[in-house]
Amino acid sequence: MVEKIKTEVQQLLISGKIKGFLGLREQHGQVGPYLFTDAQDLEGMVIGDRLKPGDSRYPLNKQLMRIARCYPDEVFGVMVRGCDERGLRTLFGSNQLNPEKVVSVGIACPQELADACECLKPFPDEFVAGEPAEARSFQTVAKLDAMEIEDRFKVWLAEFSRCIKCYGCRNICPMCYCKDCTLESRDFLAIGSLPAENPIFHLTRAIHMAGRCIDCGLCNEVCPADIPLRTLYKKIADIVEEEFHYRPGYGEAGTRPSFKILGEDLQH
Amino acid sequence: MAGLAAAFGSGAMTNSIAELEDADCILVIGSNTTSSHPLVATRIFRAKEKGAKVIVVDPRKIQLVHQADLHVRHNLGTDVALVNGIMHVILANGWHNQAFVDERTEGFEELRGVVEQYTPERTAEITGVSVEDIRTMAEWYAKARASSIVYCMGITQHTTGVDNVKSLANLAMLTGHIGRESTGVNPLRGQNNVQGACDMGGLPNVYPGYQAVNVPENREKFEKVWNAKLSDKVGLTIPGILEGLNSGSVKAVYVVGENPMVSDPDIHHVEKALRSAELLVVQDIFLTPTAELAHVVLPGASFAEKDGTFSNTERRVQRVRQAIKPIGQARADWEIIQDLSTRFGYPMNYESPAAILDEVAQVTPSYGGITFDRLEGDGLSWPCPNSEHPGTKFLHAGRFSRGLGLFHAIEYKPPAEVVDVDYPFWLTTGRVHVHYHTGTMTRNSPSLHEEMPEGFLEINPQDARTLGVKSGDTVRVSSRRGEVLVRVDLTTRVRQGMVFMPFHFVESCANILTNPAHDPIAKIPEYKVCAVTLEKAA
Ligand code: SF4
Ligand code: SF4
Repeated sequence: MVEKIKTEVQQLLISGKIKGFLGLREQHGQVGPYLFTDAQDLEGMVIGDRLKPGDSRYPLNKQLMRIARCYPDEVFGVMVRGCDERGLRTLFGSNQLNPEKVVSVGIACPQELADACECLKPFPDEFVAGEPAEARSFQTVAKLDAMEIEDRFKVWLAEFSRCIKCYGCRNICPMCYCKDCTLESRDFLAIGSLPAENPIFHLTRAIHMAGRCIDCGLCNEVCPADIPLRTLYKKIADIVEEEFHYRPGYGEAGTRPSFKILGEDLQH
Repeated sequence: MAGLAAAFGSGAMTNSIAELEDADCILVIGSNTTSSHPLVATRIFRAKEKGAKVIVVDPRKIQLVHQADLHVRHNLGTDVALVNGIMHVILANGWHNQAFVDERTEGFEELRGVVEQYTPERTAEITGVSVEDIRTMAEWYAKARASSIVYCMGITQHTTGVDNVKSLANLAMLTGHIGRESTGVNPLRGQNNVQGACDMGGLPNVYPGYQAVNVPENREKFEKVWNAKLSDKVGLTIPGILEGLNSGSVKAVYVVGENPMVSDPDIHHVEKALRSAELLVVQDIFLTPTAELAHVVLPGASFAEKDGTFSNTERRVQRVRQAIKPIGQARADWEIIQDLSTRFGYPMNYESPAAILDEVAQVTPSYGGITFDRLEGDGLSWPCPNSEHPGTKFLHAGRFSRGLGLFHAIEYKPPAEVVDVDYPFWLTTGRVHVHYHTGTMTRNSPSLHEEMPEGFLEINPQDARTLGVKSGDTVRVSSRRGEVLVRVDLTTRVRQGMVFMPFHFVESCANILTNPAHDPIAKIPEYKVCAVTLEKAA
């Protein structure tokens, strides 16, 4: 699978279409993000399946935003799965990345990963490697929805009680790009104690992910307290879709959500 | 570490961190795990998820209490009595593992003699823990298939620290919860490399790999390798150095990566001692309060600026790789030490950290098979005696490092300082999640500073009412050694009669108050218990 990516990247680099390719590289027995700039040196490139599919994923788009800020005139390639493509679209829509400056190289995720993620679209529109897997619906959300609301609330309070306020969920999130974060604001949240203010810390983050979360699951994976954050944000995405008929990153590239943001008219 | 070494022959976490996940019962005592060792807490969370019983023994209502099946708040410094009481119940009910005791241990009869005195009623009286809770702990811990003990400074920072550790070792041996997967006695080490520093002989009495300096064969071996004459005398501990400075027998002190001006008990005493040094050299990555007193400051390199290895709490040796070149005049610690040694007339010419690790392997049996090229990926846990050895997940399988496990019959002794009419409150100290130790690193981080910019004193709302203080008020806290002003935080995390202060903050320094009385063997001071009085500051 990675060979196909390599071939594609090599061509892109040689043709000069991209300045560098942001992907993953295995080195010293660990997988990490790496910016490949030399077509002749793509050694160690991997897709992030170290012990099982997708176990070594990173928020590449987040790193791409940093790189793009330093080199605004250059075009960069980036490896994308289905979720990453949704992320790119949403970031284009909110002017965090320029679609003219990004070339995506897609891979389709295997069924095993799609199942674990309960992914609605486990492949990007175009991909050079992998076979498209079947979509899966949100069983974890359905299970909680079947509970009485008081019990559901209890479940979440218990989950949140383990939070050690490491901010890992926010830090890894490819869609968290604000300079000032509400989660660090004393005006909104109690600071200094453990667990993080329960449930306000988590609900604040959840509300802020409405219209943004592209369901990559990295937050869930990184959480040292094993809090099922992804399930929470999946539910938020369902609510947003119901109310606003919009799910971030789905639909035609470049399409705008069908709702307006308060005050948006005044900007134009 | 001294306690475990005496009981088992090896002073380190007996089992690996990940094994905790599969324990059926976890006894957490004197460890605020979610704050201080969050990734160990992850494993406890997972064990709980799989159905393990979690027992938290802590005078404070720490975060982990939310996950506990039983939380026991014993009186400060009564750990030995509590563990003896638990063992009493285990023996009385025949829940101990006689076969294990017979085959793998010695000293059982002496232990039984002492433990018999600790009836549940007497234990309850000393510890303030109910007879019922003592019984529950005994039953859950003893009867589980695999029980694991996790402890930290709440056990060691007492005048009876070594006794406390030995008591936990007794409990594990009595029930046979040691030497198997997901069992054991597991001290959590805070620094990423404090285990490594001890492994390398950063202690007054041993060469690398805990080889005692006063054993002639050890000395001869190192004299040969190092081609130098070595002393056979045990060196000084920190309290010993401070005493020596005061009495004039110690003239010069070289402090590497420590900050005794914040971290040691009775700061006034520490400052007086350090100021009397003829030469004080401090090597650190920041200008700490201790470095401010120094005649010479040597800038060390941070983790990001150097190559080498760290050995973590589960004895795992892992690579650290240089990410950036050292900033300014900073240099890796080994380079500084090497140059100093050369100028003292003993030339050292190591080419690289890899070359140093090769020598470590040559002279340290437990590191015998550990070389840079084998440390790719997840690293190796010692003992790893040769180049084929895969490393050791848990210790003492089939045989203890010392042969037979040794029971120690231990009587309860009260803390060195207890409350009285002049100093009616118990003070205990500890860490918070956003700061590490004296804050040398964490208080320089803007976001961590923002999360907790100043120290505080936790006090029970009832006590606060009696004193007439509200949340956010400042109080004067005084002990026999000094006083500090600090903001109060009203919370039921502490019981009436007890207060808690984190020790990271130099401006409201808990260690001005703490008692330097220390354990006779490990020399660790009693940071966890002293007596104070409180008054509302004007
Ligand atoms: S799944 Fe988590 S990390 Fe991924 S976009 Fe949503 S909130 Fe961010
Ligand atoms: S990653 Fe998990 S523990 Fe860390 S702040 Fe987020 S929810 Fe809390």
